[in-house]
Amino acid sequence: MIFGPLGRRILSRLGTSLVVAWGSVTAAFLALHALPGRIEDILAGDLDYPGLREAIAAEWGLGRSLPEQYLDFVARIASGDFGVSYVLRQPVAQIVGSQILPTVQLATTAGALALALAVLAATLTAGRGGAARSVASTIELTCASAPVFWIGILLLMAFSFSLRWFPVSGAGGWKALVLPSAALALPTAGLLAQVLREAMEKTLEQPFIVTVRARGLGEGLIRLRHVLRHAALPAVTLGGWLIGGLLGGAVITEKVFGRPGLGTVTLNAVLTHDVPVVLAVVLLAAFIHVAASTLLDIVYVVIDPRLKAQ
Amino acid sequence: MIARTFRAPSVAARAMLHLPLLGIGLLCAAAPLTKAHAEDGGPRSGGELTFGVTTEPVCFNPQRSEQQNSFILIRNFVDSLIAKNADGRFLPWLATEWTVSPDGKTYDFKLRKDVTFHDGERLDAEAVKFNLDFVKDPANTNSAGQLLQFYEKSEVVSPTEIRITLTKPDSALLESLASIRLGILSPKALKSGDRLCSGGPALAGSGPFLFQSYTRGQSISLVRNERYGWAPGYAAHQGPAYLDKATIRFLPEYSVRAGALSSGQVDVIEGVQPTDIALFKDQPGFQLLVGPSGAQTSFTLNINYTIPPATDVRVRQALRDGADIDGLVNAVYLGAVRRAWSNIAPDNPFYNRALEGSWGNDVAKANALLDEAGWTGRDSEGFRTKDGQRLSIEVGYPQPFVRDNRDVLIQGVQAQLRKNLGFDLKLRLITGGEWAQQKANGSWTIYPNTYLPADAAQELQGNIGEKGFIQAVADKGDKELFSLINQALSATDVEAKKQFVDAAQKRAVDLAFIVPLFSANYQLAAKDNVRGLSFEAQLDSPASLHDVWLAEQ
Repeated sequence: MIFGPLGRRILSRLGTSLVVAWGSVTAAFLALHALPGRIEDILAGDLDYPGLREAIAAEWGLGRSLPEQYLDFVARIASGDFGVSYVLRQPVAQIVGSQILPTVQLATTAGALALALAVLAATLTAGRGGAARSVASTIELTCASAPVFWIGILLLMAFSFSLRWFPVSGAGGWKALVLPSAALALPTAGLLAQVLREAMEKTLEQPFIVTVRARGLGEGLIRLRHVLRHAALPAVTLGGWLIGGLLGGAVITEKVFGRPGLGTVTLNAVLTHDVPVVLAVVLLAAFIHVAASTLLDIVYVVIDPRLKAQ
Repeated sequence: MIARTFRAPSVAARAMLHLPLLGIGLLCAAAPLTKAHAEDGGPRSGGELTFGVTTEPVCFNPQRSEQQNSFILIRNFVDSLIAKNADGRFLPWLATEWTVSPDGKTYDFKLRKDVTFHDGERLDAEAVKFNLDFVKDPANTNSAGQLLQFYEKSEVVSPTEIRITLTKPDSALLESLASIRLGILSPKALKSGDRLCSGGPALAGSGPFLFQSYTRGQSISLVRNERYGWAPGYAAHQGPAYLDKATIRFLPEYSVRAGALSSGQVDVIEGVQPTDIALFKDQPGFQLLVGPSGAQTSFTLNINYTIPPATDVRVRQALRDGADIDGLVNAVYLGAVRRAWSNIAPDNPFYNRALEGSWGNDVAKANALLDEAGWTGRDSEGFRTKDGQRLSIEVGYPQPFVRDNRDVLIQGVQAQLRKNLGFDLKLRLITGGEWAQQKANGSWTIYPNTYLPADAAQELQGNIGEKGFIQAVADKGDKELFSLINQALSATDVEAKKQFVDAAQKRAVDLAFIVPLFSANYQLAAKDNVRGLSFEAQLDSPASLHDVWLAEQ
């Protein structure tokens, strides 16, 4: 054997990622072409003059058969060339490249905020009956079931239009990031806190907690060092889904707050059958999901060393 | 025959020529003007302005863009050959004067000598010819090519003189040349390839502002063009713009735009929803301006009368008259827009005013028409039937075009037709692709739309003419209507054109090929220290920021 067990695992991961990437690009290509409407008709819109459609078809090579177009796309993407957007008429790599950072910034800030809020709420209230727990739980349920769009408008009305603490959007540095991150974080935080609390409450009933208590550890330390670690596993399992949720929610948040990002670009690309842009975004999403699930696998092992043996 | 000549003398002489008109303008506007000037000492240079708009343009190249809302931004850095005044006259801009040959096929333009593009290139006859030839060539896939269908060629007579020859008379040519879609760009920029859509300094026009930068998803930055000395004939002042800088921010949500203005984060917003008007209208510290409805068509239900049951004129007329459009438009827009009587908008010089009150809201007659047409049965849901078929027509509304509660208005019509007539008007939101497909094969049934600003005859042609939405099945279309529109397009004098356009509107409404609903307009809300805001007649939309200045607060 040339590769060790670790090498083989990395290789098989890489292989799966390639299959996932290829599969998602193919599915997106097929889906776009299964939708009604020829691309040249959509691009021409309501305007028309003799020769326009033919010229558009020639410009983007739309006259070729679908398998030909598909192979061309796959070959070019494989060589790192994402082509030019039919509608925005800019290299796709440039469009996605310029929009990815704001979206990632928003999603990671919101993700961190959601995590912090959830951990705080869960550790403070888990296993404690009474008013605080039910108040926290009610707030979490409200946040988890409220649309990002609506939370965004409410936050804006309170903290931007009335109190004027934060700007609507724009180049206001960290200040411009506060409200969008909060709007995006709250639903996620609500859900995460619910899951985390339930897991913590189950853990608190475990015999080893009695042992830990017997050793004289304070309640705070017990919760942070022992309970949280055990309760983290179900929350991490949710993580993969949450990353998708954050990216999806970012699309809506960007629109409400007038922020740059992949949201509007993606939406418009799908509506106008802008195949090169859609394929690039789908590929990016597939990559993020593969990366996230790999990361989660590693996090599992760190949290629960028992998994290392398997 | 004598060629018609439009002369544009020097600025001073032009001011003299316009004196009588100016007098009327002053009378109307006397109160606010004197107040503003007395308090603020007149326009002053300097300052920065932030403008919140509804729409981020897909493409900033005027010759390619098909988004009406993109032109609000583009007008700041792109000029046209001629300008259209609010009264419908054409005034000088990059061209100072022009003549039209008696046969309507040859146009001679004299150009200004002092115009430079933002990239330093000079504007001359060669540059104008390059622009027109470039747009005309289908290989460049510019949407504006549609405006030059009868364009044959341009000849450079001298560096400041250009002759445009048409294959046949085109009564819309001046309107088209005044359109931002035929805005003149630096030939060097056009030759540089296809990156003009994404704007920035590469998109070199000759307008009052330079396109400094574009942050996708957020804003664009404009800085004053210090060399600007060629404002359009309708501008309030000559010379460079007053503002040093302007930032145009994309705030697609209505409530967010209104909140941003009321909290002072932006100076001007475009697109105020009816329920927010009270926040700014006659409120201290704010102003509200309402634009004309003339350049775009009214929001209209176009009926495909080649597909049953809409082939029966009685069914179409019942659809037209079975709802109280006045009441519905008022309920949805709270008096902010006018109900429409024709698809040509009321402030358009070619609007057929005689149609007002000639149709609509006659439930008894509509029911009688349907009875007469044999739709006498009723099904379990109360809809009319004939031979077991329900009286039903689908409105396919492309989702990307849904805005301003227009879908709610159609739902209102739907509810009334159901209640009043037992007529099943089905509203379905479709994708842009589905609409493109329905249009390509002529299978659409009702298409609600507002058409881009153009000449009235061009608008009729693009909507209900043989080149309109019905194009794919035009052989089954109304030949009489097509003929009226074609005659309007090639008319060589305004009176004849008006007759044909009037007759076409009347025929379309009488035979209920269309059901006009309301005339959209632009609204601007602004802080009250923002002065000089106006609308461009050729577009209906806010004019460039050239005349805008900031008074001391």
